[in-house]
Amino acid sequence: MSEGDNIERDDAMIAAEYALGLLEGEELLTARGKAASDANFAARKEWWDAWFSPWTDEMPGAEPGDHVWQAIAARVDAAPDPATQAGVNAANVVLIDMERRVRRWQWTAGITSAAAALALALFITAPGATPVTENTPPLAVAQPPLMASIPIGDTLRLGVTFLPGSDEMLVSAAGLSADGVHDHELWLVPADGSALQSLGVVVPGEERRVALPVEVAQNMDDGVQLVLTREPLGGKPEGVDAGPVVAQGAFGQV
Amino acid sequence: MRDEEKQALSTSEWRVARPPERSRVNEPHPLAPQPSAAQLDAASQAREALRAAMVRLADGDSAALEEIYSATRVKLFGICFRILGDRKEAEDALQDVYVNLWQRADRYDPQRASPISWLATFARNRAIDRLRTGKVRSGAVAVEEAAPLPDEAPLADALMVDAERDAQIDICLKGLDDNAQTYIRAAFFEGRTYAQLAEGADVPLGTMKSWIRRGLMKLRACLEASEAA
Repeated sequence: MSEGDNIERDDAMIAAEYALGLLEGEELLTARGKAASDANFAARKEWWDAWFSPWTDEMPGAEPGDHVWQAIAARVDAAPDPATQAGVNAANVVLIDMERRVRRWQWTAGITSAAAALALALFITAPGATPVTENTPPLAVAQPPLMASIPIGDTLRLGVTFLPGSDEMLVSAAGLSADGVHDHELWLVPADGSALQSLGVVVPGEERRVALPVEVAQNMDDGVQLVLTREPLGGKPEGVDAGPVVAQGAFGQV
Repeated sequence: MRDEEKQALSTSEWRVARPPERSRVNEPHPLAPQPSAAQLDAASQAREALRAAMVRLADGDSAALEEIYSATRVKLFGICFRILGDRKEAEDALQDVYVNLWQRADRYDPQRASPISWLATFARNRAIDRLRTGKVRSGAVAVEEAAPLPDEAPLADALMVDAERDAQIDICLKGLDDNAQTYIRAAFFEGRTYAQLAEGADVPLGTMKSWIRRGLMKLRACLEASEAA
Protein backbone atom coordinates (compact mmCIF):
# COMPACT_ATOMS: atom_id res chain seq x y z
CA MET A 1 0.00 0.00 0.00
CA SER A 2 1.40 3.33 -0.96
CA GLU A 3 1.69 6.30 1.34
CA GLY A 4 -1.22 8.16 -0.23
CA ASP A 5 -3.54 5.23 0.29
CA ASN A 6 -3.19 5.39 4.07
CA ILE A 7 -5.32 8.48 4.27
CA GLU A 8 -8.96 7.82 4.89
CA ARG A 9 -10.72 8.51 1.65
CA ASP A 10 -14.35 9.26 2.32
CA ASP A 11 -16.95 10.37 -0.19
CA ALA A 12 -16.18 14.05 0.39
CA MET A 13 -12.56 13.41 -0.58
CA ILE A 14 -13.48 11.39 -3.65
CA ALA A 15 -15.93 14.12 -4.69
CA ALA A 16 -13.08 16.64 -4.46
CA GLU A 17 -10.78 14.43 -6.51
CA TYR A 18 -13.53 14.00 -9.05
CA ALA A 19 -14.27 17.74 -9.17
CA LEU A 20 -10.60 18.57 -9.69
CA GLY A 21 -10.24 15.93 -12.41
CA LEU A 22 -7.56 13.90 -10.63
CA LEU A 23 -9.18 10.53 -11.21
CA GLU A 24 -8.82 8.20 -14.14
CA GLY A 25 -9.60 4.61 -15.08
CA GLU A 26 -11.90 2.64 -12.86
CA GLU A 27 -11.84 5.24 -10.07
CA LEU A 28 -13.19 7.83 -12.47
CA LEU A 29 -15.91 5.47 -13.62
CA THR A 30 -16.91 4.69 -10.07
CA ALA A 31 -17.08 8.38 -9.20
CA ARG A 32 -19.19 9.07 -12.28
CA GLY A 33 -21.56 6.27 -11.45
CA LYS A 34 -21.87 7.53 -7.91
CA ALA A 35 -22.54 11.10 -9.02
CA ALA A 36 -25.38 9.79 -11.16
CA SER A 37 -26.94 7.63 -8.48
CA ASP A 38 -26.12 9.14 -5.10
CA ALA A 39 -27.66 12.55 -4.37
CA ASN A 40 -25.38 13.20 -1.41
CA PHE A 41 -22.29 12.51 -3.46
CA ALA A 42 -23.57 14.67 -6.31
CA ALA A 43 -24.30 17.51 -3.88
CA ARG A 44 -20.84 17.23 -2.40
CA LYS A 45 -19.29 17.36 -5.86
CA GLU A 46 -21.31 20.50 -6.60
CA TRP A 47 -20.17 21.92 -3.30
CA TRP A 48 -16.55 21.55 -4.35
CA ASP A 49 -17.32 22.85 -7.85
CA ALA A 50 -18.84 25.99 -6.36
CA TRP A 51 -15.74 26.58 -4.26
CA PHE A 52 -13.25 25.86 -7.03
CA SER A 53 -15.04 27.68 -9.86
CA PRO A 54 -13.84 31.20 -8.84
CA TRP A 55 -10.40 29.99 -9.88
CA THR A 56 -11.61 30.09 -13.48
CA ASP A 57 -11.54 33.89 -13.08
CA GLU A 58 -7.75 33.63 -13.12
CA MET A 59 -7.82 31.99 -16.54
CA PRO A 60 -7.53 34.79 -19.11
CA GLY A 61 -10.48 35.07 -21.45
CA ALA A 62 -9.96 34.65 -25.15
CA GLU A 63 -12.00 35.30 -28.27
CA PRO A 64 -12.85 32.18 -30.30
CA GLY A 65 -12.99 32.36 -34.09
CA ASP A 66 -16.29 33.32 -35.74
CA HIS A 67 -16.59 29.87 -37.28
CA VAL A 68 -17.31 28.40 -33.83
CA TRP A 69 -20.68 30.11 -33.53
CA GLN A 70 -21.47 29.32 -37.16
CA ALA A 71 -20.87 25.64 -36.46
CA ILE A 72 -22.98 25.72 -33.32
CA ALA A 73 -25.82 27.53 -35.08
CA ALA A 74 -25.71 25.08 -37.98
CA ARG A 75 -26.00 22.14 -35.63
CA VAL A 76 -28.84 23.70 -33.70
CA ASP A 77 -30.71 24.78 -36.84
CA ALA A 78 -30.49 21.26 -38.21
CA ALA A 79 -33.05 20.22 -35.62
CA PRO A 80 -36.11 22.48 -35.76
CA ASP A 81 -38.20 22.75 -32.68
CA PRO A 82 -41.53 20.96 -33.13
CA ALA A 83 -43.26 23.36 -30.78
CA THR A 84 -42.88 26.14 -33.36
CA GLN A 85 -44.85 24.29 -36.00
CA ALA A 86 -48.40 25.54 -35.93
CA GLY A 87 -51.57 23.66 -36.69
CA VAL A 88 -50.44 20.15 -35.89
CA ASN A 89 -52.43 17.80 -33.78
CA ALA A 90 -51.02 16.01 -30.77
CA ALA A 91 -50.29 12.77 -32.61
CA ASN A 92 -48.42 14.61 -35.33
CA VAL A 93 -46.38 16.42 -32.73
CA VAL A 94 -45.29 13.07 -31.38
CA LEU A 95 -44.27 11.96 -34.84
CA ILE A 96 -42.49 15.20 -35.68
CA ASP A 97 -40.75 15.05 -32.37
CA MET A 98 -39.53 11.54 -33.12
CA GLU A 99 -38.27 12.57 -36.53
CA ARG A 100 -36.53 15.48 -34.92
CA ARG A 101 -34.93 13.23 -32.37
CA VAL A 102 -33.71 10.91 -35.09
CA ARG A 103 -32.28 13.86 -36.97
CA ARG A 104 -30.75 15.24 -33.85
CA TRP A 105 -29.15 11.94 -33.12
CA GLN A 106 -27.90 11.70 -36.67
CA TRP A 107 -26.16 15.01 -36.61
CA THR A 108 -24.91 14.42 -33.13
CA ALA A 109 -23.55 11.09 -34.22
CA GLY A 110 -22.41 12.33 -37.57
CA ILE A 111 -22.67 8.89 -39.05
CA THR A 112 -24.91 7.06 -41.43
CA SER A 113 -24.38 3.66 -39.96
CA ALA A 114 -26.78 0.79 -40.06
CA ALA A 115 -27.71 1.83 -36.57
CA ALA A 116 -29.22 5.05 -37.85
CA ALA A 117 -30.84 3.25 -40.74
CA LEU A 118 -32.31 0.77 -38.30
CA ALA A 119 -33.80 3.52 -36.20
CA LEU A 120 -35.26 5.32 -39.18
CA ALA A 121 -36.71 2.11 -40.54
CA LEU A 122 -38.33 1.46 -37.20
CA PHE A 123 -39.97 4.84 -37.12
CA ILE A 124 -41.01 4.91 -40.71
CA THR A 125 -42.45 1.43 -40.87
CA ALA A 126 -44.04 1.47 -37.45
CA PRO A 127 -47.76 0.69 -37.81
CA GLY A 128 -49.75 3.86 -37.58
CA ALA A 129 -46.86 6.10 -38.35
CA THR A 130 -48.37 7.22 -41.63
CA PRO A 131 -50.91 8.55 -41.19
CA VAL A 132 -51.17 8.92 -37.45
CA THR A 133 -54.62 8.83 -36.02
CA GLU A 134 -55.64 8.96 -32.45
CA ASN A 135 -56.69 5.31 -32.60
CA THR A 136 -53.33 4.04 -33.73
CA PRO A 137 -50.62 5.35 -31.46
CA PRO A 138 -47.22 4.92 -33.06
CA LEU A 139 -45.65 1.70 -31.89
CA ALA A 140 -42.25 3.29 -31.75
CA VAL A 141 -43.31 5.63 -28.97
CA ALA A 142 -43.58 2.72 -26.60
CA GLN A 143 -40.26 1.19 -27.51
CA PRO A 144 -37.83 3.72 -28.94
CA PRO A 145 -34.41 2.26 -29.54
CA LEU A 146 -31.64 3.43 -27.29
CA MET A 147 -28.61 4.75 -28.99
CA ALA A 148 -25.25 5.94 -27.90
CA SER A 149 -22.73 7.66 -30.05
CA ILE A 150 -19.31 7.58 -28.48
CA PRO A 151 -16.88 10.02 -30.02
CA ILE A 152 -13.37 8.71 -30.46
CA GLY A 153 -11.04 11.55 -31.22
CA ASP A 154 -12.44 14.13 -33.59
CA THR A 155 -13.85 12.17 -36.41
CA LEU A 156 -14.62 8.62 -35.37
CA ARG A 157 -17.70 7.42 -33.56
CA LEU A 158 -18.61 4.17 -31.98
CA GLY A 159 -22.33 3.57 -32.43
CA VAL A 160 -24.27 1.42 -29.99
CA THR A 161 -27.93 0.58 -30.53
CA PHE A 162 -30.16 -1.37 -28.21
CA LEU A 163 -33.81 -2.23 -28.62
CA PRO A 164 -35.46 -2.23 -25.20
CA GLY A 165 -36.87 -5.64 -24.44
CA SER A 166 -34.39 -7.42 -26.63
CA ASP A 167 -31.31 -9.28 -25.51
CA GLU A 168 -28.81 -8.04 -27.99
CA MET A 169 -27.26 -4.82 -29.14
CA LEU A 170 -25.60 -3.58 -32.27
CA VAL A 171 -22.09 -2.17 -31.98
CA SER A 172 -20.79 -0.32 -34.99
CA ALA A 173 -17.06 0.26 -35.03
CA ALA A 174 -16.82 1.06 -38.73
CA GLY A 175 -13.84 3.28 -39.44
CA LEU A 176 -11.90 2.14 -36.41
CA SER A 177 -8.70 0.26 -36.98
CA ALA A 178 -6.74 -2.01 -34.70
CA ASP A 179 -3.29 -0.96 -33.50
CA GLY A 180 -2.21 -4.55 -32.94
CA VAL A 181 -1.21 -3.84 -29.34
CA HIS A 182 -4.45 -2.92 -27.64
CA ASP A 183 -8.07 -3.86 -27.65
CA HIS A 184 -10.88 -1.60 -26.55
CA GLU A 185 -13.52 -2.83 -24.19
CA LEU A 186 -16.95 -1.31 -23.84
CA TRP A 187 -18.53 -0.99 -20.40
CA LEU A 188 -21.92 -0.11 -19.08
CA VAL A 189 -21.98 2.11 -15.99
CA PRO A 190 -25.10 0.98 -14.10
CA ALA A 191 -27.19 3.92 -12.91
CA ASP A 192 -27.36 2.48 -9.40
CA GLY A 193 -23.62 2.87 -8.94
CA SER A 194 -22.94 -0.85 -8.88
CA ALA A 195 -19.93 -2.40 -10.58
CA LEU A 196 -19.33 -1.80 -14.25
CA GLN A 197 -20.57 -4.44 -16.62
CA SER A 198 -18.53 -5.43 -19.64
CA LEU A 199 -20.26 -5.18 -23.00
CA GLY A 200 -17.36 -6.91 -24.62
CA VAL A 201 -14.32 -6.07 -26.67
CA VAL A 202 -14.99 -3.86 -29.67
CA VAL A 203 -14.09 -5.35 -33.02
CA PRO A 204 -12.52 -2.55 -35.08
CA GLY A 205 -13.96 -1.91 -38.51
CA GLU A 206 -16.97 -4.13 -37.99
CA GLU A 207 -20.56 -3.94 -37.10
CA ARG A 208 -21.52 -6.69 -34.70
CA ARG A 209 -24.52 -7.99 -32.93
CA VAL A 210 -23.65 -8.70 -29.33
CA ALA A 211 -25.81 -10.93 -27.14
CA LEU A 212 -26.40 -9.58 -23.66
CA PRO A 213 -26.95 -11.49 -20.45
CA VAL A 214 -30.19 -10.57 -18.66
CA GLU A 215 -28.37 -8.86 -15.81
CA VAL A 216 -26.73 -6.54 -18.32
CA ALA A 217 -29.77 -5.99 -20.54
CA GLN A 218 -31.89 -4.89 -17.59
CA ASN A 219 -29.47 -2.02 -16.94
CA MET A 220 -29.65 -0.68 -20.48
CA ASP A 221 -31.71 2.46 -20.10
CA ASP A 222 -32.05 6.03 -21.29
CA GLY A 223 -29.20 8.15 -19.97
CA VAL A 224 -27.06 5.23 -18.87
CA GLN A 225 -23.39 5.86 -19.43
CA LEU A 226 -21.05 3.81 -21.55
CA VAL A 227 -17.31 4.02 -21.44
CA LEU A 228 -14.57 2.61 -23.59
CA THR A 229 -11.30 1.54 -22.00
CA ARG A 230 -7.98 0.66 -23.53
CA GLU A 231 -6.95 -2.87 -22.59
CA PRO A 232 -4.40 -5.48 -23.52
CA LEU A 233 -5.35 -7.63 -26.50
CA GLY A 234 -8.30 -9.79 -25.57
CA GLY A 235 -9.79 -7.34 -23.10
CA LYS A 236 -9.35 -6.62 -19.42
CA PRO A 237 -7.53 -9.49 -17.75
CA GLU A 238 -9.19 -11.04 -14.73
CA GLY A 239 -8.18 -9.50 -11.41
CA VAL A 240 -6.61 -6.28 -12.63
CA ASP A 241 -8.04 -2.78 -12.88
CA ALA A 242 -9.56 -1.67 -16.13
CA GLY A 243 -7.33 0.41 -18.38
CA PRO A 244 -7.68 4.14 -19.02
CA VAL A 245 -10.99 5.48 -20.25
CA VAL A 246 -10.48 6.62 -23.79
CA ALA A 247 -14.01 7.57 -24.74
CA GLN A 248 -17.47 7.76 -23.28
CA GLY A 249 -21.07 8.37 -24.15
CA ALA A 250 -24.57 7.79 -22.88
CA PHE A 251 -27.68 6.10 -24.19
CA GLY A 252 -30.34 8.43 -25.45
CA GLN A 253 -33.73 7.78 -26.97
CA VAL A 254 -33.96 8.93 -30.52
CA MET B 1 -33.89 20.58 -6.37
CA ARG B 2 -37.11 19.24 -4.99
CA ASP B 3 -38.12 20.44 -1.57
CA GLU B 4 -37.85 17.10 0.16
CA GLU B 5 -34.30 16.67 -1.15
CA LYS B 6 -33.38 20.10 0.10
CA GLN B 7 -34.74 19.14 3.48
CA ALA B 8 -32.81 15.90 3.54
CA LEU B 9 -29.56 17.56 2.56
CA SER B 10 -29.82 20.35 5.06
CA THR B 11 -30.28 17.94 7.92
CA SER B 12 -27.48 15.60 6.97
CA GLU B 13 -23.82 16.22 7.50
CA TRP B 14 -23.66 17.32 3.88
CA ARG B 15 -23.92 20.97 3.31
CA VAL B 16 -25.35 22.16 0.07
CA ALA B 17 -23.05 24.41 -1.89
CA ARG B 18 -23.27 27.98 -0.75
CA PRO B 19 -24.47 30.14 -3.60
CA PRO B 20 -21.23 31.66 -4.90
CA GLU B 21 -23.02 34.92 -5.59
CA ARG B 22 -24.10 35.36 -2.00
CA SER B 23 -23.56 38.95 -1.02
CA ARG B 24 -21.99 38.33 2.36
CA VAL B 25 -18.95 40.56 2.57
CA ASN B 26 -15.90 38.66 3.66
CA GLU B 27 -12.43 39.92 4.14
CA PRO B 28 -11.46 41.01 0.64
CA HIS B 29 -8.67 39.28 -1.18
CA PRO B 30 -5.60 41.38 -0.43
CA LEU B 31 -4.71 41.61 -4.10
CA ALA B 32 -8.17 42.29 -5.38
CA PRO B 33 -9.55 45.77 -5.80
CA GLN B 34 -12.98 46.15 -4.29
CA PRO B 35 -15.55 46.60 -7.03
CA SER B 36 -17.67 49.68 -6.86
CA ALA B 37 -21.37 49.49 -6.11
CA ALA B 38 -22.11 50.32 -9.73
CA GLN B 39 -19.90 47.50 -10.95
CA LEU B 40 -21.59 45.07 -8.60
CA ASP B 41 -24.95 46.21 -9.83
CA ALA B 42 -24.00 45.78 -13.47
CA ALA B 43 -22.54 42.38 -12.70
CA SER B 44 -25.63 41.17 -10.91
CA GLN B 45 -27.85 42.46 -13.72
CA ALA B 46 -25.75 40.60 -16.27
CA ARG B 47 -25.95 37.51 -14.10
CA GLU B 48 -29.74 37.72 -13.88
CA ALA B 49 -29.98 38.21 -17.66
CA LEU B 50 -27.84 35.11 -18.11
CA ARG B 51 -29.90 33.13 -15.65
CA ALA B 52 -33.09 34.13 -17.49
CA ALA B 53 -31.57 33.12 -20.83
CA MET B 54 -30.61 29.74 -19.39
CA VAL B 55 -34.18 29.20 -18.21
CA ARG B 56 -35.54 30.17 -21.64
CA LEU B 57 -33.13 27.75 -23.27
CA ALA B 58 -34.33 24.95 -21.01
CA ASP B 59 -37.88 25.81 -22.12
CA GLY B 60 -36.86 25.16 -25.70
CA ASP B 61 -36.11 28.70 -26.90
CA SER B 62 -33.05 28.09 -29.04
CA ALA B 63 -32.63 31.85 -29.66
CA ALA B 64 -31.50 32.11 -26.06
CA LEU B 65 -28.42 30.14 -26.98
CA GLU B 66 -26.98 33.00 -29.02
CA GLU B 67 -27.48 35.37 -26.12
CA ILE B 68 -25.70 32.97 -23.77
CA TYR B 69 -22.91 32.49 -26.30
CA SER B 70 -22.39 36.25 -26.68
CA ALA B 71 -22.20 36.75 -22.95
CA THR B 72 -19.98 33.82 -22.04
CA ARG B 73 -17.86 32.71 -25.02
CA VAL B 74 -14.78 34.72 -24.00
CA LYS B 75 -14.66 33.23 -20.53
CA LEU B 76 -15.53 29.68 -21.58
CA PHE B 77 -13.09 29.71 -24.48
CA GLY B 78 -10.41 30.94 -22.09
CA ILE B 79 -11.11 27.96 -19.84
CA CYS B 80 -11.06 25.43 -22.69
CA PHE B 81 -7.84 26.91 -24.03
CA ARG B 82 -6.22 26.89 -20.59
CA ILE B 83 -7.01 23.21 -20.09
CA LEU B 84 -6.35 21.99 -23.62
CA GLY B 85 -3.42 24.22 -24.53
CA ASP B 86 -4.36 24.19 -28.20
CA ARG B 87 -6.53 26.70 -30.01
CA LYS B 88 -8.12 24.28 -32.46
CA GLU B 89 -8.91 21.73 -29.74
CA ALA B 90 -10.28 24.47 -27.54
CA GLU B 91 -12.57 25.70 -30.32
CA ASP B 92 -13.88 22.19 -30.88
CA ALA B 93 -14.44 21.81 -27.16
CA LEU B 94 -16.25 25.14 -27.04
CA GLN B 95 -18.55 24.04 -29.83
CA ASP B 96 -19.33 20.87 -27.87
CA VAL B 97 -20.03 22.89 -24.76
CA TYR B 98 -22.75 25.01 -26.36
CA VAL B 99 -24.33 22.27 -28.45
CA ASN B 100 -24.43 20.10 -25.36
CA LEU B 101 -25.86 22.95 -23.36
CA TRP B 102 -28.61 23.37 -25.91
CA GLN B 103 -29.41 19.67 -25.97
CA ARG B 104 -29.55 19.36 -22.22
CA ALA B 105 -30.27 22.84 -20.88
CA ASP B 106 -32.62 21.31 -18.33
CA ARG B 107 -29.63 20.11 -16.32
CA TYR B 108 -29.08 23.63 -15.06
CA ASP B 109 -31.07 24.41 -11.93
CA PRO B 110 -31.42 28.19 -11.59
CA GLN B 111 -32.25 27.83 -7.89
CA ARG B 112 -29.03 26.15 -7.17
CA ALA B 113 -26.03 27.70 -8.80
CA SER B 114 -24.93 30.96 -10.32
CA PRO B 115 -25.16 30.54 -14.10
CA ILE B 116 -21.59 31.65 -14.81
CA SER B 117 -20.20 29.37 -12.11
CA TRP B 118 -22.18 26.46 -13.50
CA LEU B 119 -21.16 27.20 -17.10
CA ALA B 120 -17.50 27.61 -16.13
CA THR B 121 -17.56 24.24 -14.37
CA PHE B 122 -19.39 22.67 -17.30
CA ALA B 123 -16.84 23.99 -19.81
CA ARG B 124 -13.90 22.85 -17.70
CA ASN B 125 -15.42 19.39 -17.33
CA ARG B 126 -15.98 19.07 -21.08
CA ALA B 127 -12.41 20.16 -21.77
CA ILE B 128 -11.11 17.61 -19.27
CA ASP B 129 -13.27 14.88 -20.80
CA ARG B 130 -11.59 15.74 -24.07
CA LEU B 131 -8.16 15.52 -22.49
CA ARG B 132 -8.99 12.08 -21.12
CA THR B 133 -9.98 10.70 -24.51
CA GLY B 134 -6.26 10.69 -25.22
CA LYS B 135 -6.56 12.52 -28.50
CA VAL B 136 -5.04 15.76 -27.31
CA ARG B 137 -1.28 15.51 -27.21
CA SER B 138 -0.12 16.46 -23.79
CA GLY B 139 -2.84 18.58 -22.37
CA ALA B 140 -2.44 21.95 -20.84
CA VAL B 141 0.75 23.87 -20.78
CA ALA B 142 2.13 24.64 -17.35
CA VAL B 143 1.15 27.97 -15.86
CA GLU B 144 4.52 29.58 -16.37
CA GLU B 145 4.75 28.39 -19.98
CA ALA B 146 1.32 29.49 -21.03
CA ALA B 147 1.81 32.09 -23.70
CA PRO B 148 -0.97 34.65 -23.81
CA LEU B 149 -3.19 34.51 -26.83
CA PRO B 150 -2.80 37.46 -29.17
CA ASP B 151 -6.47 38.24 -28.73
CA GLU B 152 -6.53 37.58 -25.02
CA ALA B 153 -9.28 39.57 -23.42
CA PRO B 154 -9.61 40.72 -19.85
CA LEU B 155 -12.79 39.42 -18.31
CA ALA B 156 -15.53 41.90 -17.64
CA ASP B 157 -16.83 41.89 -14.09
CA ALA B 158 -20.06 40.41 -15.33
CA LEU B 159 -18.18 37.30 -16.41
CA MET B 160 -16.45 36.73 -13.12
CA VAL B 161 -17.65 33.79 -11.09
CA ASP B 162 -16.45 35.51 -8.01
CA ALA B 163 -17.67 39.01 -8.70
CA GLU B 164 -17.69 39.85 -5.03
CA ARG B 165 -14.11 38.75 -4.52
CA ASP B 166 -15.20 36.36 -1.85
CA ALA B 167 -11.81 34.69 -1.92
CA GLN B 168 -12.38 32.22 0.89
CA ILE B 169 -10.96 29.37 -1.18
CA ASP B 170 -7.66 31.25 -1.48
CA ILE B 171 -7.57 32.06 2.23
CA CYS B 172 -8.13 28.40 3.05
CA LEU B 173 -5.62 27.23 0.43
CA LYS B 174 -2.91 29.36 2.01
CA GLY B 175 -3.30 27.32 5.19
CA LEU B 176 -2.08 24.17 3.41
CA ASP B 177 1.44 22.85 2.96
CA ASP B 178 3.25 24.26 -0.06
CA ASN B 179 3.06 21.02 -2.03
CA ALA B 180 -0.66 20.70 -1.45
CA GLN B 181 -1.22 24.31 -2.55
CA THR B 182 0.84 23.87 -5.68
CA TYR B 183 -0.61 20.60 -6.87
CA ILE B 184 -4.26 21.20 -6.01
CA ARG B 185 -4.06 24.33 -8.11
CA ALA B 186 -2.14 22.51 -10.84
CA ALA B 187 -4.86 19.87 -10.97
CA PHE B 188 -7.48 22.55 -11.42
CA PHE B 189 -5.63 24.74 -13.90
CA GLU B 190 -3.96 22.06 -15.98
CA GLY B 191 -6.49 19.25 -15.74
CA ARG B 192 -3.82 16.77 -14.70
CA THR B 193 -4.42 13.40 -13.05
CA TYR B 194 -2.57 12.15 -9.96
CA ALA B 195 -0.30 10.09 -12.20
CA GLN B 196 0.53 13.05 -14.44
CA LEU B 197 1.20 15.32 -11.49
CA ALA B 198 3.46 12.73 -9.87
CA GLU B 199 5.37 12.25 -13.10
CA GLY B 200 5.75 16.00 -13.60
CA ALA B 201 7.00 16.47 -10.04
CA ASP B 202 9.17 13.34 -10.26
CA VAL B 203 7.80 11.88 -7.06
CA PRO B 204 6.13 8.50 -6.41
CA LEU B 205 2.39 8.40 -7.08
CA GLY B 206 1.73 7.64 -3.41
CA THR B 207 3.56 10.77 -2.35
CA MET B 208 1.52 12.97 -4.68
CA LYS B 209 -1.72 11.38 -3.50
CA SER B 210 -0.67 11.90 0.08
CA TRP B 211 0.15 15.60 -0.44
CA ILE B 212 -3.10 16.31 -2.22
CA ARG B 213 -5.36 14.22 0.02
CA ARG B 214 -3.98 15.74 3.21
CA GLY B 215 -4.47 19.13 1.62
CA LEU B 216 -8.04 18.36 0.58
CA MET B 217 -8.95 17.22 4.09
CA LYS B 218 -7.66 20.46 5.52
CA LEU B 219 -9.23 22.52 2.77
CA ARG B 220 -12.62 20.96 3.40
CA ALA B 221 -12.41 21.65 7.13
CA CYS B 222 -11.45 25.27 6.53
CA LEU B 223 -14.21 25.85 3.94
CA GLU B 224 -16.83 24.26 6.18
CA ALA B 225 -15.70 26.36 9.11
CA SER B 226 -16.07 29.48 6.94
CA GLU B 227 -19.63 28.46 6.05
CA ALA B 228 -20.53 27.90 9.69
CA ALA B 229 -19.11 31.27 10.69
